[in-house]
Amino acid sequence: MAERIWKAAGWMAVGLLIVLPGLSLVLQSFANSWRAPAVFPQEFGLRGFEIAFSSAGAIGAGLDSLAVASATTALCLVLAWPAARALAQCGIARSPLVVLVIALPLLMPPYLAGFGLTEWFIRLGLDATVIGLVLAHTVLALPYAVIILTFGFGSHLRELEEMADLAGLSRLRRLAWVSLPSVRPTLATAALLSFLVSWSQYGPSLAVGGGRATLPVVMLPFIRTDPQVAAALGMLFIVPAMLVLVWAVRSQRNPL
Amino acid sequence: MEARDPERRLTRPGGRTAVSQHLGLLPALAVLLLLYGGAVLGALRVSLIPLGGGTGELTLDAWGAVFADPTFLDALAFTIRITVIATAISALLALLLALSVRDRGLLARVSSAGPVPVPHLLVATVAVLWLAPGGIADRVLGGLPLNPIRDPGGSGVILVYVFKETPFIALLLLASLGRSVRQREEAARVLGANRLQAFTWVLWPALRAPLLLGSLIVAAFTIGSFEVPLAVGPSYPQTLAGWAFEATRGDLISGEGEAAAALLVAGALAVALAAISARFARNVEGG
Amino acid sequence: MTDEFRKPGRSFAAASTLAAILLGVLVFAGCGGEEPAPTASVQSFTEIREEARGQTVRWWMFGGDARINEYVDEQVIPAAERRGVNLIRIPITDTAEAVQRVAAQRRAGKTGGGRVDLIWINGENFAAGKEAGLWLEDWSEGLPNSKLVDFEDPSINLDLAVPIVGQEAPWSRAAFIYAISPSAVPEPPASFEDLLAWAKENPGRFSYPAPPDFTGTSFVKQVVIEMGEDRAFEYLRELQPLMWSEGERFPASEAELNELFANGQVDFAMSFNPNFISTAVEKGQFPESTRPLLLEGGALVNTSYVTIPADASSTAGAQVVADLLLAPGLQAVKADPAGLGIPSVLDRTRLDQRQLALFAGDESSPYLLEDFGDTKTELPAERVAPLEERWKREILSGG
Repeated sequence: MAERIWKAAGWMAVGLLIVLPGLSLVLQSFANSWRAPAVFPQEFGLRGFEIAFSSAGAIGAGLDSLAVASATTALCLVLAWPAARALAQCGIARSPLVVLVIALPLLMPPYLAGFGLTEWFIRLGLDATVIGLVLAHTVLALPYAVIILTFGFGSHLRELEEMADLAGLSRLRRLAWVSLPSVRPTLATAALLSFLVSWSQYGPSLAVGGGRATLPVVMLPFIRTDPQVAAALGMLFIVPAMLVLVWAVRSQRNPL
Repeated sequence: MEARDPERRLTRPGGRTAVSQHLGLLPALAVLLLLYGGAVLGALRVSLIPLGGGTGELTLDAWGAVFADPTFLDALAFTIRITVIATAISALLALLLALSVRDRGLLARVSSAGPVPVPHLLVATVAVLWLAPGGIADRVLGGLPLNPIRDPGGSGVILVYVFKETPFIALLLLASLGRSVRQREEAARVLGANRLQAFTWVLWPALRAPLLLGSLIVAAFTIGSFEVPLAVGPSYPQTLAGWAFEATRGDLISGEGEAAAALLVAGALAVALAAISARFARNVEGG
Repeated sequence: MTDEFRKPGRSFAAASTLAAILLGVLVFAGCGGEEPAPTASVQSFTEIREEARGQTVRWWMFGGDARINEYVDEQVIPAAERRGVNLIRIPITDTAEAVQRVAAQRRAGKTGGGRVDLIWINGENFAAGKEAGLWLEDWSEGLPNSKLVDFEDPSINLDLAVPIVGQEAPWSRAAFIYAISPSAVPEPPASFEDLLAWAKENPGRFSYPAPPDFTGTSFVKQVVIEMGEDRAFEYLRELQPLMWSEGERFPASEAELNELFANGQVDFAMSFNPNFISTAVEKGQFPESTRPLLLEGGALVNTSYVTIPADASSTAGAQVVADLLLAPGLQAVKADPAGLGIPSVLDRTRLDQRQLALFAGDESSPYLLEDFGDTKTELPAERVAPLEERWKREILSGG
């Protein structure tokens, strides 16, 4: 009985906090006119999406963002995996300076990136290039990936790997059949966050990318000035991110 | 490398295995140090050397101006206040959320993580759409008793952050509640432990670290962000990053120096927080 | 655990510190940089046009106004293409972002090949860049279409009381006007005193954005211009408790004030964009009954410009685009009340019959004012920051 009440309360909370605001965003994107005191839009229309796809260039910007975010996620995971293994072996608390360097982009204000990164990347000749942008995003997402992965490399994984060694598996097989499936939930979470960090980056895309039009760059100016277009672009922004979220959450179940 | 004997690994002499294990850190560290380290040092330089000056023009003017400005100190106090409140509430709610949602189906777990992929500014916009005077809630209910938007106490900012960060921390917690934890929990129940004991002895040790970490990340982010306070926070006092943002408006030359200084103060605050939590975690773990 | 695990940790600490020091030396040593050549070389415009062919011009401009974006995409970019210039519109949220990018390029020691070729700019952002020497010099009066502009006019050769000295080219006219809903305000106030009287009878229905927001500062400036600084602050203090939210909260920007107006929280909106009502109605934000209003029989008149950073990669192309923006054809399209309705910066007396004809036959719009009344004299630039400080002290925290 208590279980039922709990469940009902949970769904009500989800409805109120997630579904309703989400619906209002959808409504806003289709609302050519929505002012007080009307609870529903006075006028529906496709103006938001028309503008989003034409002058805002949502498709091009979206594909751009997708490419950069995917590259960032891949690079992050490749760099984070060995780093997280090393940290898990020696214990995070043992090398505070190392952890500080890794966590620095997390601890410093995001706005600082605008000051420092741009100038530094220009000096390094990395600005206005795709690789430079991917590197800038990677730097900002790496702390999340490393720290989350470190939690996945616990003693449990070590036991499993030792068993695999005893069974005589090659390193590659051990990686594919034991290590990867075992850390799937944390790997998925790390991938999700790396992707989201890159997907939502605004400052570096403009500053380091030299004005490269990614989806956040196109969307942000409309927020507060043109709510309908902002909502339309917002939906185009959220959908791929949601898909990655669903994949990550599914992977959080059933680890080895 | 050959298959390793677990005993041999611990007793192997010399630091070779240890070093080669540390080697894995090298690529990540190199990238971060080279690319981000340079950025932080660049910001430091901006705070010490005005635009167009050479190394000879090192000056502490910007730092002095920043700390002498009462609006900056108000911003510092305000930032600390909303950080503490927002982080504490998010951490608590995240714990409850993770525990209630971990046994549920995919739909429940995805919906509870809904706010995570939504950008902060979009959440702020929807908050304004609903909670501002003349907003949807006002229209449906015919009047709201409180207005969190631009509330001088910062409740609008706290609200948006709690909404965004609770599912984020919960996500981290859920990622740490794997099968091994579940197995130990079941074992404990079989051995006769009740719910509270199972929590204290099995769940809490597994959740402690990600909870602390998640809270640290949220705190650091709150200390340094300015878009949400810009959208729903009070005109005064500002947050540190909001203060920095405004400092660049009037005079570009001195403004950028002061802004960089303010941002570095915010960063230092977050680093101090991290150091404290690291010490706290170490004491709790027992070395 | 054993010592062997601690040693590598320490050596890492040492290595990282060393690397950090090295980095520090690198970052601090290479600063300053040589002065970039700020003046456009003495070329005839024909030579500039030739050089511009095949160049790519990156125009950084505010990206949140769908109609201006459309105008640029559909009118300006094709026109540029016909001159062989590849114009790319880069959307930004705030002009300061473009200025910061140029400043970062300067700090990194770049003297050319910059990623910002043209910026839609005025006011503080221009002044800040000018003081830092970021803009190309002496080019705007040499454009062929510049002869159609009256550079003697103080509202053109002074950008918010800062001399433009050929560093920016005018693009659009601006005037500070107000918006009201005639049903809510059947007898619109004509002066600030009238406004105060109206506020006494209708408390909580008026607000203005908090300085240092541009629109808010402009409102405060207009009050100061009308009645002198001390009397103005007396007035604002008297007005404060009669304002929306009892003067304890202020919208942070023009966009927010527009939201309040749209949601029926206040009965007045204001902006330096003379076409802001038309834009808002088209967006579905303002009701169609909204009408423009002038206070004190006149308005602060302003111009918005385009400027070229000194280190731009395509200075010739940028100048060609700036010249294009002043072409009577493009200015007429922009000024069409049925469309954007942004007044032109061209001096009508300098246009010939054919060019004047482009502007003729435009129907008026109820959302646009044809005449901005008396032009108010701008305050000197150095008075603005102290005014904003005083407002913060006396109104915002004083309150």
